[in-house]
Amino acid sequence: MESVRKKDVPVVTVLDPKFKYEVAREPGGENIKYCFQCGTCTSGCKVAELDSKYNPRKIIKMVILGMRERVLSGDFIWLCATCYTCHERCPQDVRIPEVMNALKNIAVREGYIHPAFRAQAELIAGHGRLYEIDELANEKRTDWGLTEIPQGCPEVAEIYGITGLFDLLSREVGGKT
Amino acid sequence: MPGMLQDAGREPRIGVYICHCGLNIAGVVDVEAVRESARFLQGVAVVRDNRYTCSEVGQKGIADDIKEFKLNRVVIASCSPRLHEKTFRTLMEKSGLNPHLLEMANIREHCSWVHYDDPVAATQKAKDLVRSSVARARLLQPLLRTKGQVLPEVMVIGGGVAGISAALYLGGMGIKTYLVEKEPSIGGHMAMLDKTFPTLDCSLCILSPKMVEVAECENIKILSYSQVEKVEGQVGNFRVQVRRKPRYVNEDKCVGCGDCVAKCPVKVNDEFNRNMGTRKAIYIPFPQAIPPAYVIDDENCRYLTQGKCKICQAVCQRGAIEFDQTDQTETIEVGAIIVATGFEPYDPRGLPEYGYGRFPNVITSLDFERLICADGPTYGKLKRPGDSTVPKRVAFIQCVGSRDQATGCAGYRLDGGTGSRGESTDPKPYCSRVCCMVTAKQAFMVKEKHPDAEVYVYYIDMRTAGKGFEEFYQRGRHEGIVFLRGRPGEVEEKEDGCLRIISEDLDSGCILDLTFDMVVLAQGLIPPGGLGELAQKMNLSRSEDGFLMEGHPKLRPAETAIDGIYLAGCVQFPKDIPDSVAQAGAAAAAAAVTCSKESIEIDPLGPVIDEALCIGCRLCEVLCPYGAIKVEFTDKGPKAKSIEVACKGCGVCGASCSTKAITMKHYTDSQLAAQVKAILEVV
Repeated sequence: MESVRKKDVPVVTVLDPKFKYEVAREPGGENIKYCFQCGTCTSGCKVAELDSKYNPRKIIKMVILGMRERVLSGDFIWLCATCYTCHERCPQDVRIPEVMNALKNIAVREGYIHPAFRAQAELIAGHGRLYEIDELANEKRTDWGLTEIPQGCPEVAEIYGITGLFDLLSREVGGKT
Repeated sequence: MPGMLQDAGREPRIGVYICHCGLNIAGVVDVEAVRESARFLQGVAVVRDNRYTCSEVGQKGIADDIKEFKLNRVVIASCSPRLHEKTFRTLMEKSGLNPHLLEMANIREHCSWVHYDDPVAATQKAKDLVRSSVARARLLQPLLRTKGQVLPEVMVIGGGVAGISAALYLGGMGIKTYLVEKEPSIGGHMAMLDKTFPTLDCSLCILSPKMVEVAECENIKILSYSQVEKVEGQVGNFRVQVRRKPRYVNEDKCVGCGDCVAKCPVKVNDEFNRNMGTRKAIYIPFPQAIPPAYVIDDENCRYLTQGKCKICQAVCQRGAIEFDQTDQTETIEVGAIIVATGFEPYDPRGLPEYGYGRFPNVITSLDFERLICADGPTYGKLKRPGDSTVPKRVAFIQCVGSRDQATGCAGYRLDGGTGSRGESTDPKPYCSRVCCMVTAKQAFMVKEKHPDAEVYVYYIDMRTAGKGFEEFYQRGRHEGIVFLRGRPGEVEEKEDGCLRIISEDLDSGCILDLTFDMVVLAQGLIPPGGLGELAQKMNLSRSEDGFLMEGHPKLRPAETAIDGIYLAGCVQFPKDIPDSVAQAGAAAAAAAVTCSKESIEIDPLGPVIDEALCIGCRLCEVLCPYGAIKVEFTDKGPKAKSIEVACKGCGVCGASCSTKAITMKHYTDSQLAAQVKAILEVV
């Protein structure tokens, strides 16, 4: 429930006070409430250096405040490069990359999969790998005396089924299948 | 010292010492130029400059010069005499000179420090000050100190945790101690708190054993329901007039059975519960009160206001009710005094935008303590005052009255009501030091009682400097208390009594528009009402913030500028319980040092009265702030007499005497005139 007042400053009237506990229960998110907003994470963040939209300190504050939808639906949590620089430096041991993983896990369960990751998951489901092996590739392999690679990989699809990834990929926002 | 008075007859031979004080003086003032300017002044036998005159080397140089040049006067141009006058007087005594033949020129505080931006003028001023000091030194007379008796007894004013601790330390040392408390019971603000940070132990559970110890200590006499009216005398021998208000209940006979309370027909607001509950006209402030005796509130008692009732007297089986009690004034003589009168919580009605006093569900931190205390008006159930429902969303606002240049602590904006208590309307921008932890503790207590409650703390900075404090703050965050950086501008009341707060969250950059069931204002700590009068009675200085000024901000934190008067607790500046207790220990130790002396040397600064000139006009008697001059009738008519022990040497009598009958021993007219003349000389 966010409206926009005066240019880009979001005015927040409804917060989800349980969100911080939900994240803290998720593996990786245990220490999030210790954050006291010192900004050490953002100061050394390589992603933030490239794109100031990514600010791990702010993301954590938004979680603590309970801005559930804004955090889960946004791009931010997917931008972490998991370089672990912030993890090494955080004075409160918040373990930011793992918090980001926890947030991604919650986001996926809620149907918020970033399009880039959705595309990757679908490619792997279809081809068993991130890129398609076409006929030309197999012809070359034959020339070199190598065996052909099968197109498609039913085992991967089977894993998707068993682990529930298919189910997650088909979810709508809000977590309904 | 024998022979020291002989210096008077000789021609002045003055040694002048200009101090560099490292770069404190030499960094601005051209010390060599000042030294040369003093070389040929009349009476000067030797001039030197030292890097540190107060050092061992510097002092030895002076001692050697006194011998070699047969000096009989010394002028030291250095720091304030408050710092080293004693050092150099002792040095002169050791060298066989009368210590009152020393004159100091303050070329640091009065010169290099204040004129750091103009070295040329600062150097000129230093030369002028040295010249004028030499002029006065030429006329200095040796004086003999008198000895004053020291009463090995101490008075502690204020019976909060600081006063209690100081009294216990002193009592434990075998020093007779009077503990004066204006309320019917000792305990102070600490007795009103539910729990203490960061350990969350019950406040009274740790305080009441100390209160009982006070009551049982044979060296401590509690004067409850009493106030200091007048303080006379000086270190070693203070005479304190204490007014004891009538309790109308005999403390010795009352056993605290409570029969009187059950039958008393008058119900009034209970100030101990911050007016949130009621009590009877005969009452005990809280069950653990010391002395454990009831008291009758004479403003509300039916018999004392309307002349009939006396039910309490009829039901009291011990005959403890004594309606014929009246105000008693006692004079108590002590050697030292510890002032521990504490603080007063800032009244947030001074910040009307937060709605305290208008919106029932906006309360203060002290209200919260009573609200959540098992002995409070709700028996420890957290209910908001407006409609007695359990608040599910609680906001705390920090720095209410603190860190506020415009309206803050003591900057009462309202007239009447709350406005009258402030003694000064100057803005006081200080941090009250304890509120961050008080709020963290209270937020934690809400979570403890109601884990599902949402608790938000609006803050400017979180200041958690103290043992275990940061850890407590961290624990609070982990419990789910949300700390919001950003001070709200306003609290609005909604129809259902809930409160809307709009604030900027500086961390996320969002504007937060949130609604709460209850708002707690972390009120700052301000000097208690009446502190100005008390300070005046004792001639104590107050710092800019209104609290009492310590002897030295670093090295004499429990002393004052007046010998024999010491400070403990929040009366010096807001502090938490451990710091108050620590300062109480320091004050008790300092008072014990004074009281352990057999006698005290009194500086001979008082007036000499020439009876031949005195016409008995009484002007001096009227003007003396210490009652140290009285006109007595002699066979030559009325003549002023000085009471040396009471005199503080302020000089008002000498300056006001119309017939010049009064001379201040160490500041004679001729000395001062010479000094003024020298400083105005054009060179």
